Amino acid sequence: MSAILEVRDLHTQFDTLDGVVRAVDGVSFDVARGETLGIVGESGCGKSVTALSILRLIPPETGRIAQGSIRFEGTELTALGEEEMKGLRGHRISMIFQEPMTSLNPVLTVGTQIAENVVRHMGVPWSAARERAREMLDLVRIADARRRLDEYPHQLSGGMRQRVMIAMALSCDPQVLIADEPTTALDVTIQAQILDLMIELKEKTGTAIVLITHDLGVVAETTERVVVMYAGRKVEEAPVEALFDNPLHPYTRGLMRAIPRLDVEADAAGTRPRLQEIPGLVPILTRPIVGCAFAARCELATDRCRATPPPFVDAGGGHTVACWEVTL
Amino acid sequence: MSAPVLQVDGLVKHFPILGGLLQRRVGEVRAVDGVSFAIAKGETLGLVGESGCGKSTIGKTVLKLIEPTAGRILLGGEDVTKLKPGAMWQHRRHIQTIFQDPYSSMNPRLAAGTIVGEPLENYGITRGGETSERVAQLFQRVGLRPDAMRKYAHEFSGGQRQRLGIAKALSVNPELIVADEPVSALDVSVQAQVLNLLIDLQEEYGLAYLFISHDLAVMRHISHRIAVMYLGRIVELATKRTLFTQPLHPYTEALLSAATAPDPRRRRTRKRIVQGDVPSPARPPPGCHFHTRCPYAIAECKVTAPPLIEVAPGHHVACLRRPVGGGPQPLSVSG
Repeated sequence: MSAILEVRDLHTQFDTLDGVVRAVDGVSFDVARGETLGIVGESGCGKSVTALSILRLIPPETGRIAQGSIRFEGTELTALGEEEMKGLRGHRISMIFQEPMTSLNPVLTVGTQIAENVVRHMGVPWSAARERAREMLDLVRIADARRRLDEYPHQLSGGMRQRVMIAMALSCDPQVLIADEPTTALDVTIQAQILDLMIELKEKTGTAIVLITHDLGVVAETTERVVVMYAGRKVEEAPVEALFDNPLHPYTRGLMRAIPRLDVEADAAGTRPRLQEIPGLVPILTRPIVGCAFAARCELATDRCRATPPPFVDAGGGHTVACWEVTL
Repeated sequence: MSAPVLQVDGLVKHFPILGGLLQRRVGEVRAVDGVSFAIAKGETLGLVGESGCGKSTIGKTVLKLIEPTAGRILLGGEDVTKLKPGAMWQHRRHIQTIFQDPYSSMNPRLAAGTIVGEPLENYGITRGGETSERVAQLFQRVGLRPDAMRKYAHEFSGGQRQRLGIAKALSVNPELIVADEPVSALDVSVQAQVLNLLIDLQEEYGLAYLFISHDLAVMRHISHRIAVMYLGRIVELATKRTLFTQPLHPYTEALLSAATAPDPRRRRTRKRIVQGDVPSPARPPPGCHFHTRCPYAIAECKVTAPPLIEVAPGHHVACLRRPVGGGPQPLSVSG
């Protein structure tokens, strides 16, 4: 499979009163045509900033892509002007966010908002765009789509709003859909429906999905390949089965052991096995991190880990890990 | 057996919906609609359900932060339902709370040590130097350095603030802690630290927890018994083991099938059994609230609200299609 999106050595920084925050600190990965790539990590690991960087949505007053390259279908996005980026966003690359209400315009009907995007990027007449909007609502399984076109976002439930966002994001047949915590604000039964819908639509349309989440369950159930991030850096990358069967980075292993499990055999009433804690806290990103970013919390860490950033070790089958102490 | 730490009988809480020019009562949200349960000393009862199911309202009502519309609340066997705030004050010592966002309940101008020590002084349990000593012990017990007593709430990380909230709740030696989504805002690695701490403290002090969460995996980890709620009613109540191995209510089954698990192979075998949204608690469907989404619903379910029945020892379920002795066999989808 050829890569449609190539991110190389991306550095994104923000100016704060405490100094420069290195939110993304040298991240590289590829997204293949039609695949689902998960980017997983905890708060502040840089996963959302990576997404915003790809879309060139870093507010210029406070932040910047300091270094690196983002190539989409061979075009260098970091060199594009804002007008050209506007032509791409919502068209060739589109996005959905955690809280659809903040991305939907409260005073325009759902139909108008989807149709606007279609008119803007496809240059079709309004009537055709509205018909496209109805088709899209059908596609995301909103019942009674024709009537819903004339409703406002506040008249819809949270799950339905996220369906509208997906309809809008897919309305111009994008090559890449970036979904940042798309189901985090939703109830469990609604989350399941939205995840199922996203996978089904991906298979139908061939749109590649970059799914950004903190939830390992969501990653396991929806993605094909996973990038694990910690403190602005990529620490591990693997096909999803390999990652869950054989996590290699001490941080990934720690995360897997820290989550309460629902799927393991229920134990006798009363016994509660201890969850494995990852001691300590994430490093402060305003200070340069010498060596491995995880070293301070890692039980395997040696002086070498604290002094020199680890190179990526190839474990075979597309599984790579940045760790000095990993045994393959 | 001594009286349960907390007993709730037929609890009802309706919130009025005001409308029109004169702001008259035009309807009501049936947030909690006849809920009964008891929690024993040292036990964790989990309340699980989706947004709007009434789980947090139960927490607030039990704490008497809001007045129930009907029903009884008994703390240690004593009826506190009708107590006025002044009289309730003495009982509050025995029932403390931990919130999802502890920061919102902390005075930003007070040092952390003062925040944790306040309840001790208010209840006259300790004074002055004695308070500082006790607070230092509490800090150590929840995994904070005693020198952090001089810091302010904003100087702590999310996980540390939750530890601070736990220290404050513990300070007056309560018997029951109402924990409303205490780990939902925390990252996985920190969540594990806080869950372990809560379990350790329970075993050490014999605390009872009313643990409110939407997260089934967290629930399964910390609870002894679990009540599943849907639109203001308990639909199933059982020990954790029974609930996860032999769920009887279709909604419980739906929740379990919808929850994601960190296992990439599971997605191919799962079947999702419900579609659609949770109806509004202001207009709950008649009969069994779940019938609009239930694949097994029969005509009777649209009319009759099923009572919560003990179908096996300790296993209660509110479903017309689950008669006593009906057992855990699968239901068939009706024509």
